[in-house]
Amino acid sequence: MGSKYLFPYKSRFVGIGLILLHIPIRAIWEYLYPGLGEHHLPVKPGDSVLFTNQHLFSITSAILMLVGLFLIAFSKEKIEDEQIAQLRLDSLRWSIYLNYLILLLSLIFTNGIDFIDILRLNLWVPLLFFIIRFRWVLFRLNRSLTEEKN
Amino acid sequence: MKNNIRVERAIKNMTQAELAEKVKVSRQTINSIESNKYIPSTVLALKIAKVFGKPLEEIFMLESKDMK
Repeated sequence: MGSKYLFPYKSRFVGIGLILLHIPIRAIWEYLYPGLGEHHLPVKPGDSVLFTNQHLFSITSAILMLVGLFLIAFSKEKIEDEQIAQLRLDSLRWSIYLNYLILLLSLIFTNGIDFIDILRLNLWVPLLFFIIRFRWVLFRLNRSLTEEKN
Repeated sequence: MKNNIRVERAIKNMTQAELAEKVKVSRQTINSIESNKYIPSTVLALKIAKVFGKPLEEIFMLESKDMK
């Protein structure tokens, strides 16, 4: 993955900011419409009105969270080199594997309505797992460096 | 593939950080290469050889398991 298709290093902090910002918006929404959190997508017949207050709140918080995760996942490291690029590609592959495993299992073990929840989960799983896995290998890399020094 | 970057660095009295800066990678990458955890690209290998002023084969060598 060429580093020219990555966001600048500092956009990671913008991403963290967006995710923190999404929390109060989510909280306000849960406060205004308690209990609607689980089924905010217009799936029931006759309930397909877009851009209602609930819909706007839910898409705003989802977009903030998604963009935040995206910026964190795909921002450059301070020193971006070929080993980092390889680790990033590796983590990306693992997250796709995991995502499709979850999708496959959910295809087998769920029916119609539940599958919508799985699709929504699908929005976060690849990015989240990628970030966790990538950070973990970078952490291990740095730890091996400090062990070397001692 | 093995290498003797560590030996060459000792000869030139160079730290991992100094070598990393010269070839524009992170210190972690130099460390991984030295401990045979990461195989550098051809470009990076050539750059490292250039820093030491030696031909590539004197710094990086194939092992028998590479030929399997």
